[in-house]
Amino acid sequence: MAECIVVTSGKGGVGKTTTSANLGAALALSGKKVAVVDADIGLRNLDVILGLENRIVYDLVHVIEGECKLKQALVRDKRVEGLYLLPAAQTRDKNAVGPEDMKKLVQTLKDEGMDYVIIDCPAGIEQGFKNSVAGADRAVIVTTPEVSAIRDADRIIGLVEANELPEPRLIVNRYRSNMVERGDMVNVDDILEILAVPLIGLVPDHEDVIISANRGTPAVFDEKSVVGAAYLRIADRIMGHDVPIPSFAEDTGFWSTFKRWMGMAPVREVV
Amino acid sequence: MRDIFSRLGPTVERIFGKAAGSKDDAKQRLKFLLIHDQVDLTPAQLDTMKTEIMDVISKYVEIDQDAMEFSLNKEDGHIALVSSIPVRRVTAR
Ligand SMILES: Nc1ncnc2c1ncn2[C@@H]1O[C@H](COP(=O)(O)OP(=O)(O)OP(=O)(O)O)[C@@H](O)[C@H]1O
Ligand SMILES: [Mg+2]
Repeated sequence: MAECIVVTSGKGGVGKTTTSANLGAALALSGKKVAVVDADIGLRNLDVILGLENRIVYDLVHVIEGECKLKQALVRDKRVEGLYLLPAAQTRDKNAVGPEDMKKLVQTLKDEGMDYVIIDCPAGIEQGFKNSVAGADRAVIVTTPEVSAIRDADRIIGLVEANELPEPRLIVNRYRSNMVERGDMVNVDDILEILAVPLIGLVPDHEDVIISANRGTPAVFDEKSVVGAAYLRIADRIMGHDVPIPSFAEDTGFWSTFKRWMGMAPVREVV
Repeated sequence: MRDIFSRLGPTVERIFGKAAGSKDDAKQRLKFLLIHDQVDLTPAQLDTMKTEIMDVISKYVEIDQDAMEFSLNKEDGHIALVSSIPVRRVTAR
């Protein structure tokens, strides 16, 4: 059965777009038909993270206002079978769209045969958020191990549940195990205790994210990327598979530090 | 040789002066994006415009489609539609 997942956070800049792009690509790599929808109207970004900015003809607002067919607006990713982007409008007001429009849009995408519809929600709790959750079947909340992000995540979890979506899942992004070990960063267990929602993924803070954004190539397309690996596992869990969540470690020995300095061994996974 | 450098990692590449990083990609893509955002034309729309302009010109002269250039550039803060259309000969009418 087709499913629509909203990726949301409350606080801005914690990794919703990075997550939407990688999750969408990872699900497509597993053979699913996926549409990633940029719901950040007026400030589109997902197209750039996916490297599809040159191929946009129509956008979400065109579809909703009936100026084009849904199929005309979907940008097909040529790197992997089954991945489609529905871009946001760049020069429109964010109030051009309402929750009912989004519900209809998501249903049309499901009718088109999508297995998953991933909605990249804008920051905040206003119109853009309401639109994004309107058509969703479940929510993935992204947070970082920072006080303000966790606080906003808690607020969002409440709002998501008020919107009658079932229990959300949590992604902790930008995790820095060396800081956690040093006692300078809230660890996952603390976050889970505070927010009381199940964890679906732990993503390390890593320069891969910047490099892949520079290139417009999501980290999951790079087999060597720890960030990519983390998102591939999250996609597995989304599909209902039971995959353990490793922790991450940075070796601190002389040789490892040297290698890290050379950019060769930044983070490794510990199961 | 290059291969050895890239296997040794980004720092070594930097020391030996080979810019293999992703920042050039980023800069290139950014320039392009900002121009298109400002004129509010997608690359696809620009392509359509190009085809339409070529159709009009072709009514009068034969043009070398492979050698033609057509792009939006930004210089000194101004955006210009820059085009160079090599003409083969006047079409017989
Ligand atoms: N795991 C990570 N490691 C390093 N940097 C990261 C990571 N995740 C995200 N970032 C960086 O954080 C910034 C914000 O990421 P992203 O755009 O995905 O967040 P967002 O929640 O979609 O933001 P917004 O609220 O503005 O839509 C980006 O610059 C990205 O490179
Ligand atoms: Mg975003």
